[in-house]
Amino acid sequence: MKELEKLFDRIIQRVNINLRELEFDVHPMVGNLVPRGQMTKFYAFYGITPNHPLNLVFRYSNLAGSYFLGSCRVTNSLLYKSDIRGDELKKKGDIFQYQDFNIPVSEDEEIRIYDSFLIKTLVHNFSHDPETLERFFIRDTISTHYANIHGAPSDGCFLGPFATVDLTTMRDCVIGAYAYVQAGEISHLNVDPGTVWVRQPGVFNFMYRYPREQLNNYIYFAPGSPPQGVFMDFVEDRKEAFQRVFDVVNIETHSAVPDSASLDRFAVIKPKTKIGENVLVAQRAFLQNSTLGKGANAQEHCYIINSHLRGNNVTAHGAKIIDADMGNDVFVGFNSFLRGRPEARLTIGKDCVVMPHTIIDIRKPLAVPPGTLVWGLVRNSEELKENSIPLNAFSKIDSRICKGNMLFEGNGGSFVSGFKERIHHILEANGAFFDGKTNRGHAQRNQNLSFNTLQPYPEGNKEGLYPTIIIQP
Amino acid sequence: MKKYLVKDIMVPISEYATVSEGASLYEAVVELEKAQEAYQQSQYSHRAVLVLNKEGQVIGKISQMDFLYAIEPKDASLDKIRENQRFGFTRKAVALQQEEYLKSSPPITDVYSMVSNMNVNDYMQKPTEGEYVDENASLEMARHQLTAGSNLSLLVTRGEGIVGILRLSDVFAAFFHAMKKSEPQRKKEAGK
Repeated sequence: MKELEKLFDRIIQRVNINLRELEFDVHPMVGNLVPRGQMTKFYAFYGITPNHPLNLVFRYSNLAGSYFLGSCRVTNSLLYKSDIRGDELKKKGDIFQYQDFNIPVSEDEEIRIYDSFLIKTLVHNFSHDPETLERFFIRDTISTHYANIHGAPSDGCFLGPFATVDLTTMRDCVIGAYAYVQAGEISHLNVDPGTVWVRQPGVFNFMYRYPREQLNNYIYFAPGSPPQGVFMDFVEDRKEAFQRVFDVVNIETHSAVPDSASLDRFAVIKPKTKIGENVLVAQRAFLQNSTLGKGANAQEHCYIINSHLRGNNVTAHGAKIIDADMGNDVFVGFNSFLRGRPEARLTIGKDCVVMPHTIIDIRKPLAVPPGTLVWGLVRNSEELKENSIPLNAFSKIDSRICKGNMLFEGNGGSFVSGFKERIHHILEANGAFFDGKTNRGHAQRNQNLSFNTLQPYPEGNKEGLYPTIIIQP
Repeated sequence: MKKYLVKDIMVPISEYATVSEGASLYEAVVELEKAQEAYQQSQYSHRAVLVLNKEGQVIGKISQMDFLYAIEPKDASLDKIRENQRFGFTRKAVALQQEEYLKSSPPITDVYSMVSNMNVNDYMQKPTEGEYVDENASLEMARHQLTAGSNLSLLVTRGEGIVGILRLSDVFAAFFHAMKKSEPQRKKEAGK
């Protein structure tokens, strides 16, 4: 395992060099986060489908338990139980629009991961950096449990557990636990845990900061210890259910899945779950005693338990919905944690937008009115009042507003329409609008994926390292 | 324009408001007020108090801004709010959030007690390298130093010691008066 150790040290050093200005040392944060023994235990796997390019190149890396789809190159990196989903990459000839520019894409886009350590991280979407249209790069970067790197090229960064960087190029940044950043381009920033920041320069700027004491109850991450709190307990409690889907080669298919829906074989489907038409369930999603209406989706690391989603619901990567009733067209952002109770159900009215990284955790029944924007920490009706606003009222903001820990500045109409357009795009990409002939999306294209597995050296100096592997059609 | 030197227009340190290190912020503000009253005849008043160590050397400066900053409410949450400018928010937005936050905090009713317990050393600005100018330096040189560092004043040195203060207002006045003085001559030339 000598080579694996060398690789680990090399990555730590490279990231620390990038973060020296922020005086941030990643070594105590991740030194013991994944025991090296674990990194030799799991196979890696990749999907094959006629609908996506197949171009995978792995060199001098560990890929334990990680999943790959599409076009991806991994060099000098450690990828532990991560998902590298290249099914939304740009294709040669596409036109990328940025401000007043229409930029042609000169070759198929590729995800390139160099000198990085990703732990249980999701990498998805495509590079939104107009300077690197054909390369979605992740360099000298460490990300920890359940982080999302979504359309966000990264160079010299650290992401805490449950952090999300979305449609943003980041350089030399620290993104704290459960922080969400969608800001276009950032550099040399240390973003505090629990910061939710959505900015379109010159148009709008939204920021919410979780009260640290309350956030620590849900996710706490300090040097020398693994992440702790409600979020980690929640996923750890359901970890065993995934053991079986990864151990068994030919797993039985779930009955009564419509032809237009896609249920990944690496998702966990517990009894009494109903899947509607055009539904997309991604790998590592967990469904139990729930109904997903037409066009709803559950993306990676989503948990939907004892809940009903009426249709066209977007449940973004890592979101959790428990004991809840969701109206039509409800958007639940990345890593949100919505927990009703069997005796205190949560109801979210149609057309609501639940901002990324929202926590709704209630002990008494709570109803969010239709067409509401919700953010932050909501544990009762008082907190809902403080951390929500009707979408149509928000659209009318043209200067600034401060509500509790939320600060917004700019054009509310652009903010709301931006969200609405994005939700529509997600539904479209996922195949929610498939009519039997047109509007095919992931739900239709990701059916009948084949999977192959990859194994590392079993012992010796190279134990845990995967040999150089090139997989092409 | 007459070739002024820094020492020609500086305020001698003996005429400037000073306090000893370790004094309370209250004492510094009282000194500042006294100095301003004494300079009422001048259109440019003192806006800072110098902090001297036991050897009489200048170790810092307290301005009106430092005083106002000192009495601003402070806690970790406010610090975070003030940081929001780094995330692209305007000053107005930060001020709005600060105001909202402070609605739930008790107002400061006794500023006197507050500043009596504040040590001037904790709030003074320590001079940086670019804030010193030799007494024999030209006014052009001093002007350049003021604009490069966006300073309101410079400490004037003679050898190792500090002998005066060169204020932005005095430098401005020197250039302004020189400009006014040359105006009739220029008009005369233009009329030829």
